[in-house]
Amino acid sequence: MSYYEQIMPPVRDQRLKIGDSFAGNAREMIECAKSGCMLRHNRLFWQTGACQMSLSLMMASTVERSVIVMHGPIGCGAQLHALSVQGNKGKSKRGKAPVPPVWLSTNLQESDVIGGGEIKLHRTIEYADREFRPEIIFVVSTCAPNIIGDDVEEIVRKAQESSAAHVVSLHCPGFKSRVVASAYDAFYHGLLRHLPLTPEPWRDFIPNTAGGQRDIGQVEYELVRSRTINLWNATSIGPGDEEELIRLLGALGLKVRVFAEYSSADELRQVSQAALNVSMCNVHDDYMLSFLEEKFDIPYIIVGMPIGFSDTRQWLKSIAARFGQEEDAERLADHEEERARKAIGPFLPKIQGKRVLLCGGVVRVGTEAIFLKELGMDVLTLRAFHYESGAEAIYERVSENFPNTRIAVSNQSFEFCNQIKRLKPDLVISHNGTQGVLAKLGVPSVQLFDVDRSFFAYNGLFSLLQRIVFAFKNTSYQKRLSAHVKFPYRESWYDRDAFHYIKD
Amino acid sequence: MTSFVERPRSACALAGALSVISALPEVIPIVHASMGCGGNLSGANSFGAGYWGAGYCGGGSIPTSAITETEIVFGGNDRLKEEIESALELIDGQLYIVTTGCMTEMIGDDTRGVTNDFTADGKPVIAVSTPSFKGDSYAGYEIVLKGIFNSYLQKKEKKNPKLVNIFGIIPAYDPFFRGDLEEIARLIRALGLEANTFFTPDQTFENVKSAPSAALNIIFSRVWGTSFAEEFEKKHGTPYWITELPVGPEAADAFLSGLAERTKIPDSLVREVIDRENDIYYGYFERTADVFSDSDFKYYAVTVTNSNYAIPVARYVQNELGWVVLDVFVTDQLHDLQKNKLLHAFEESGIDDADLLFETDTSAIDRAMTQRRPQNRGERFPDAYSPLFILGSSLEKAAARRNGAAQLSISFPAFNRMIVDRGYAGYRGGLHLFEDIVGSLVFPKG
Repeated sequence: MSYYEQIMPPVRDQRLKIGDSFAGNAREMIECAKSGCMLRHNRLFWQTGACQMSLSLMMASTVERSVIVMHGPIGCGAQLHALSVQGNKGKSKRGKAPVPPVWLSTNLQESDVIGGGEIKLHRTIEYADREFRPEIIFVVSTCAPNIIGDDVEEIVRKAQESSAAHVVSLHCPGFKSRVVASAYDAFYHGLLRHLPLTPEPWRDFIPNTAGGQRDIGQVEYELVRSRTINLWNATSIGPGDEEELIRLLGALGLKVRVFAEYSSADELRQVSQAALNVSMCNVHDDYMLSFLEEKFDIPYIIVGMPIGFSDTRQWLKSIAARFGQEEDAERLADHEEERARKAIGPFLPKIQGKRVLLCGGVVRVGTEAIFLKELGMDVLTLRAFHYESGAEAIYERVSENFPNTRIAVSNQSFEFCNQIKRLKPDLVISHNGTQGVLAKLGVPSVQLFDVDRSFFAYNGLFSLLQRIVFAFKNTSYQKRLSAHVKFPYRESWYDRDAFHYIKD
Repeated sequence: MTSFVERPRSACALAGALSVISALPEVIPIVHASMGCGGNLSGANSFGAGYWGAGYCGGGSIPTSAITETEIVFGGNDRLKEEIESALELIDGQLYIVTTGCMTEMIGDDTRGVTNDFTADGKPVIAVSTPSFKGDSYAGYEIVLKGIFNSYLQKKEKKNPKLVNIFGIIPAYDPFFRGDLEEIARLIRALGLEANTFFTPDQTFENVKSAPSAALNIIFSRVWGTSFAEEFEKKHGTPYWITELPVGPEAADAFLSGLAERTKIPDSLVREVIDRENDIYYGYFERTADVFSDSDFKYYAVTVTNSNYAIPVARYVQNELGWVVLDVFVTDQLHDLQKNKLLHAFEESGIDDADLLFETDTSAIDRAMTQRRPQNRGERFPDAYSPLFILGSSLEKAAARRNGAAQLSISFPAFNRMIVDRGYAGYRGGLHLFEDIVGSLVFPKG
């Protein structure tokens, strides 16, 4: 049975070669993942992070006219307050109404943990449907119901019979995997199993009299569809990046629609009406895109992130090739590159030779590191939050570019602090949520991603360099702060290797 | 069966425990749960409380057993033991507190058994049981206090007759806890007494250790920390006083008099302090009368807060600003006994014409707010309660917009403001609250 037919989505530990604890060079890293040794790796000490539920919520909370039902104790979902704030901003910037999303918790108590939470879940879904009349109700199943054995899928099936909304289950027990990337699959699994992904007659089109597809405009429709691309976004990708890629692909005469964050049920019905699905990140969308290929025969491209000159060119060319326009893409890239190179010229002397450390998502840090090396920065090392087989192609190139550099798979703050203290980088480009630690360590830093700014293609590389140069101007804040902050680690920690606590 | 909750303003017991531990000096949490619990919950605490931040060993620094399916099946005791050993080696703290998530409680891990082995070795490691299905963040606050003060700390024979402990003000879920504690401590010290606030940056672990020798515990909450205070008295012999957080000069006068009575401070000294404080307060306040009165900043008020802030804030706007309070919404999940305690305090408070309402759901509060005010049904001369000011959380922004009301975020979650050392308690706090309320009204000017 394929994953798509199963009630529970697989976690990536089951589906892919994966790991979250490693230190060594890129070649060793690839081999360690392939042989499965990375999956075995563990730590003697762990610090908290996120779980697949938190990232599934990041995605679900952006979907328009939806309500989220958290099936679990009251704490799961606590971060939805913050996600609503972030989601509202994302909606406004995409021209959608910034309506705060409604969410409910089934608020499981001790008696529910003993007696089961199914009835409570059913009532909550019914209430959500009648009270708020949403288009979609996401039912998020957390750790507790998965341990006590609530049949969430059966409740969802029953509730669907009496609900006006689409009831979409998202199975996200956090204990299933330490690797949060499983969240993307869990979210997509819910969409592909519970939402209509094809246009509906009389709503999206008027069927012809023979009961078939459109009558009027069929030829034109097919023509447009043959040049329509679905671009798959992620929480880390902001509207600025979406616009930049729409601009470039638009120049090639392609129509671009962006899914699945910030989409509505109406928009999601159109997912099947495209010639090509394109991912912007190797480790984000393969689960959904291979489903769409299987189900609707739509091919897909997962070819890295459009970051830096050569990766952007490669990304555009791969898409254009599907439409016989590879040469157009080359010419477009030439034109854009010429202008962008001129624009970043004044920045280069200010960044060349600066010692930089990169930390965050596995694809971004690898791609960004190669690009910054090309521009003349001294890349000390990179830290990927997790590793999986989808990133292998990039790490082959990382290995070529940095054959002897010891890199790491780590999302652990204590290891990060140790590395910073010992390597003393001039600048750190790092994942959101780590900048506070860096400031307290006295190091200037730049966000690895930030939905308010650009990172992709030509606007993105200009914007990133602009910010790197800006980060070097006046570092007084970090200097003064770090002189007064005590970290929780004992001094002896900094005499040890940063990856001392990783075990086989 | 308890009901579902819509957009609750509290998380689970583990969340409350983490906010308390994060605010305590040199105390280290170790979360026995899945990888995400600690990160998700401390994130919710720190962002929702006016961007309070992670602190010494919070957020992504919190040690955790990060259990996975293997431990769910085979048990997590060994992983926890390994984590504690590593934490003791790596992290510098005076006390390490293991907190539990729902999954490790459900699989029946013997957390206390694991920590007892460390205690037997003379290591300062304790365990508290904080599964999410046992209670919300407020319950978590009380569970940690009991674990530290009533279980871990030994009884002290020698009391310090001048020392007062402040409890009942909850880190993060009372977003102004630090500013409020500072002002309360200032007032206590003004009477020649000493104060333990525990959660402000001037405190060290010595303050925690000295708590059992205190002569008095003050609980600034009708419902949170009261059973803790009872147990504290049984173990350490320290009596307690349950009172409202004094917001504004009238309430602060009464607080000082009450405190003096309980600590045998001579009337003359209290009188002197009260007079001096009022001179300063009104020295500032009288100059604000010009804009306040000329701009006609008189409002109907609705408050939407936790149980700690409900009565103090409603009383302040009624008595100090002369506003007319319509509804006082309390958003905590309370059982009937707790509700009755609050209702009783509300009746005593002298807030006229308003009702104290218990409602946890954000949309239900919004709906009730509308239903309880006369709506314009096309009358020639509609008499609406206008203008309206909502003192709530940032979740009330939508209701304020719909009702054409002004709004200020004074309760959790507060995402549309930064809170550092600001507080609304006492005389200084009264000025701050005034400044923030009127500040929001003059903001569009200019």
